[in-house]
Amino acid sequence: MKKKQMIGALLALSVLLGSMTACGGKISTTGGGSASTGGTSAAAGKGGLNLYVWTEYVPDSVIQNFEKQTGIQVNVSTYSTNEDMLAKVKSESEGAFDIVQPSDYMVEQMIKQGMLQKLDQSKLTNLKNISSVFLDQSYDPGNQYSVPYLGGVAGIAVNTSKIKDQITSYADLFNPKYKKSIVALDDYRAVLGMAARSLGMSMNETDGAKIAQIRTQALKLKDNIKLYDSDSPKSALIAGDCSLGFCWSGEIALAIKENPAIKIVFPKEGAYVFFDNWCITKGAKNAANANKFINYMMDAQTAKAVSDEFAYLQPNKAAVELLGGSYKNNPAENVPEDVIQKGEHVKNLDTATLAKYNAIWTELKK
Amino acid sequence: MSKHKFRASTLPVLATVGPVSLWLAFFVAIPLLYVLVMSFCSIDENYNVVFQFTLANYRNLLDVNYLQIYVQSILIAFFATAFCLVLGYPFAFLISRTFQSRKTILYMMVIIPFWTNSLIRIYGWRTFLGASGWLNRALTALHLIDSPVEFLFNRGATVLGMAYVLFPFMVLPLYTAIEKLDQSQLEVSADLGARGGATFFNVVLPQTVSGVFSGCIMVFIPSLGYFYVADILGGGNSDVIGNLIERQFQSGNNWPLGAALSIILIAVTLLLVKLYQKCGGDMQSLGV
Repeated sequence: MKKKQMIGALLALSVLLGSMTACGGKISTTGGGSASTGGTSAAAGKGGLNLYVWTEYVPDSVIQNFEKQTGIQVNVSTYSTNEDMLAKVKSESEGAFDIVQPSDYMVEQMIKQGMLQKLDQSKLTNLKNISSVFLDQSYDPGNQYSVPYLGGVAGIAVNTSKIKDQITSYADLFNPKYKKSIVALDDYRAVLGMAARSLGMSMNETDGAKIAQIRTQALKLKDNIKLYDSDSPKSALIAGDCSLGFCWSGEIALAIKENPAIKIVFPKEGAYVFFDNWCITKGAKNAANANKFINYMMDAQTAKAVSDEFAYLQPNKAAVELLGGSYKNNPAENVPEDVIQKGEHVKNLDTATLAKYNAIWTELKK
Repeated sequence: MSKHKFRASTLPVLATVGPVSLWLAFFVAIPLLYVLVMSFCSIDENYNVVFQFTLANYRNLLDVNYLQIYVQSILIAFFATAFCLVLGYPFAFLISRTFQSRKTILYMMVIIPFWTNSLIRIYGWRTFLGASGWLNRALTALHLIDSPVEFLFNRGATVLGMAYVLFPFMVLPLYTAIEKLDQSQLEVSADLGARGGATFFNVVLPQTVSGVFSGCIMVFIPSLGYFYVADILGGGNSDVIGNLIERQFQSGNNWPLGAALSIILIAVTLLLVKLYQKCGGDMQSLGV
């Protein structure tokens, strides 16, 4: 009886644990394309390259082209949040991944933790293609550890066939008349940062009194936000479930393509701006190949091929010349320079402050 | 112990029980122990877990917002379970009392969707119930409604999603219990003048109550944890306990707190299983 009892309890627990793992941040490993075995390319003395990048962010064709040009075999693994990536890189042995793709604040965090190595500037001949607006940022002065890949802002999407008012700011989203009409990013720094900016504060406030004000403001959103979705907020906009959106500009660009009544608005308070970057991990086994790859990604033709597939802000000015009007004249993709200048990046905050932010987030989402 | 005796008595036991024990130890016991240890750990300023004993994680569980989420999660799980039971019982009865070919078809109707990834099926519901989904379009075409009804992104949608995903876990134990029922007892009951209702409450239900219990446990417990249903159909506006845990392991990056939350969920599970046994439940119908 005793044994039976225990086995029963264990089985009930495994059902429970099974339920918890249903949709965690999974690491999927896919070959970069070519079926060449690691053995042959290693024998040729070229080695391989292990990429750890965002999902739906680096086109397969671009990676295949790199393999064809150089004979280096590329392995791609993907992640969906910066925090997942950080945890995974930490838990693997040093150098398991050569290249990672952290966002701005995560670059800072990884430099601080000594997880990145300096780039070989002499190999980065294509750096001249990158617009100076995106270089020499506060998270990595002098671009010693990172070069920008793509970027964007958290803009406001407005379905003009349903919302007739002029929306100009984050503060407009707090209007009680937009009850149950917003799809927002499922990201606490983004949503609470937006609440802070709507009050004229920074997204990175650490002062207790100010955080209390941000809390009061953020809780006003409770009735207005219908849905939290970071993966594909465009779906709810296109399907008509939500008439307002607080989401990444690249997603809004795709929503506009499906439904031209949707427009993008850049908030007058200054938007949440993000840049994603190429970095090389400390102890990377294929550092030379990694530098070669990063330089390849900054090539004008490569960057153009990326922008043909993904609708984010392209910092590569040589590629922008090649892309022509359909990209240049689309503000949702080619976010205007003054919006970037006026915007704010999320920064690392101390754990005590982030615990406060998390508590507000729980209160908002409960 | 002589070599011969070892071969004769211990080796067969080792060979049969050994693999299972190792499996349980490596994939159930040790990970659970790890979760338990982690729930007493702290984090440093870089969110690394450090082995420094603290009870702070358990103190944090008593936060008033968390308490409200526990209550909400239990209510969602309760309604999902009730929904499954009300639909599942007649369905299981039908499967076990019908002729063989139809039995196979009905059984497959439960099992085949069960083989499909639940995430895909949940997204299917979202497409079906959305503002421009099939249901709203059909109702509009029939002039029953003027503007789309908002089926999605509320607690009701979460309950529906949980009930849908976990329906097989209710039907299968019920089916097993009802299948064992002796047909002649029902005939005797009818011969003695009992109406349908009386037969059900005095003959059928007492003999299938263990199936009811195990079905309820198998639906209730996962309903506390299926955070993706609450995210996709509930819109992330009405968290279940699973959402709290998931957040600590991902964006919140506070693994020890997530571990403490998991321990609470495990404690609830054990409590329910214990309760089930106290009520005379058979551990075998939990799938053992």
